[in-house]
Amino acid sequence: MFRSEKLYLSRIIITIYCLFTVFVLGYLVYNSFRSKQDVLTNTLGIPKEWSFDAYLDVFRVEGFHYNILSSVVILIGSLVLLIFLSSMVAYGIGIYTFKYKQVVTVYFLLGLMFPVQLGIVPIFLIIKNLGLINSVWGVVLILGAGISVPVLLLTNFFANLPRSLYEAAKIDGAGEWKIFYKVMFPIASPIVVSLCIISSVGIWNNFFIPLITLQNDDVKTIPLAIMKYTGNIMLYIDNAMVTSVIATIPILILFFIFSEKVIESVASGGVKE
Amino acid sequence: MQTTKSFANLKNWFQQHPYLLFIAPGFILYSIFAIYPIISATKMSFYYSNGFGDSHFVGLQNYIELFTTKELYSQFLNAFKNNILLFILNILLILPVQIYLAYLIHTKIKGYRFFQSIIFAPQFITPTVVLFLGTLILDQNVGIFNEFLRMIGLEEWVQNWLGVPGMGIFIVFILNSWVGIGFSMIYFIGAMKMLPEEIFEAAYLDGAGYWSRLFHIVLPLLRTTIINVVVISYIFSMTIFDLNYLLGGIEGGYEHSMDVLTLFFYRVAFGTGGAMGGTVGSNSLGMGTTIAVVMFILILIASLVQLKLMVRKEED
Repeated sequence: MFRSEKLYLSRIIITIYCLFTVFVLGYLVYNSFRSKQDVLTNTLGIPKEWSFDAYLDVFRVEGFHYNILSSVVILIGSLVLLIFLSSMVAYGIGIYTFKYKQVVTVYFLLGLMFPVQLGIVPIFLIIKNLGLINSVWGVVLILGAGISVPVLLLTNFFANLPRSLYEAAKIDGAGEWKIFYKVMFPIASPIVVSLCIISSVGIWNNFFIPLITLQNDDVKTIPLAIMKYTGNIMLYIDNAMVTSVIATIPILILFFIFSEKVIESVASGGVKE
Repeated sequence: MQTTKSFANLKNWFQQHPYLLFIAPGFILYSIFAIYPIISATKMSFYYSNGFGDSHFVGLQNYIELFTTKELYSQFLNAFKNNILLFILNILLILPVQIYLAYLIHTKIKGYRFFQSIIFAPQFITPTVVLFLGTLILDQNVGIFNEFLRMIGLEEWVQNWLGVPGMGIFIVFILNSWVGIGFSMIYFIGAMKMLPEEIFEAAYLDGAGYWSRLFHIVLPLLRTTIINVVVISYIFSMTIFDLNYLLGGIEGGYEHSMDVLTLFFYRVAFGTGGAMGGTVGSNSLGMGTTIAVVMFILILIASLVQLKLMVRKEED
């Protein structure tokens, strides 16, 4: 756009920076196929042989699939809960007119003002009283209840829909609930997809909440499980490499496939994580 | 009989207020897990309690203790100082780079789609892996940075870069920057896209150069966005935790050198052996929530400043 300068220096800087990131990730993948001794003693050398053993070991010996399962259940559970609750709340506020509507709107925005640290002690006690310590469902409840941002975005969307849409469905004889899930929710799906993308990053990489509520090795999420290996690399460097690859590369591939949509979501969301 | 009737009444009532059915489920869960904990935590900060048995009202005693006991206050001050340090480094070093990168990508520098994706990608890497990648580069034994130093003949510089006393907080800063630099960059790109094309066209025809357009046209128009990013960055810097904990452990490194407020809070509230499992202080929850409330106030100040600036902007 209106650019005559060649910007050589800038192009060199940005290229080096990006190649560095690519190199670091490539180096991780490359090392995950080397044996422990090889990585520790022959850091930059060419490996004598390639090995897939570490990949088999993290599943056979370490049971890493339980950790993957934990992370996946938490991600899907939280997203479903988050979208289900927030779209209904937003629909209720956005479509209908009632007394104290402003108060209710502000109430749902309050959550944005408070850092998670402030409420975590009582949240921990609630989870403990519900017997959900060491359960993924405890994490799902906590993360799924943080509906402030989705409610904000979806309320604006529903409030700006033409009123005639609702009236038409009503005349066709559809009940309130049916209007919502047959007509209104599908229309909101582009925003719902954006919300899912923005929220997934925060849920998938969440460290603090699982750290506090998940103690047993077999329910720990991927980030927590990896901590066990990265904390003692002399002993576990092969496991650390492999689990890091499993935790990182598939997600990044997904991101690169859908990068346009993901970046657009982040730009339009413009909200704090 | 009675129940059927009241059920019919209830059903009838809900039919007249359909929005209640939509709002209720979200309202209940949000109230339990988002609003009640805030009220409860504030209340707990006025109690002497560790969650087991003994719990009594002590008024402002926890707050007084936090700010007058030397051991607690020095830890608090040190952690807060590190939060502020991270914030200042972010604003001075990372924010300008974010605007610079955003401008390059916005003006469609060759290969900009690739650059944009790569710069944003670390956002998806989980904190434990981020630290591990840092280890692969900076560690004493397996780190390739040392190998690199040997290669270029700087043998005497070789050391354990992750363990240099006092450096930990800067390692945290560098790793966090690598992860987070793309986030606000995307935000800036979004803001630049909203700027009207004509201004650039006019300036271009007037002979304003590429960089002069950035400084004289783009930056002044991005004022609100920059203020927002500064506030978000402040909130982020105040609540930072993951890498400090992973690199420095629950004590935040040697002599708490990479301690931050959330880590201090975590240490006091949840003890060393994980969630209430280890050596929990007899007032862990009382003091923990007190620290959390103070953190909230420190964050609230920034939010209010942001609000004030936005209101003033509206009035202009």
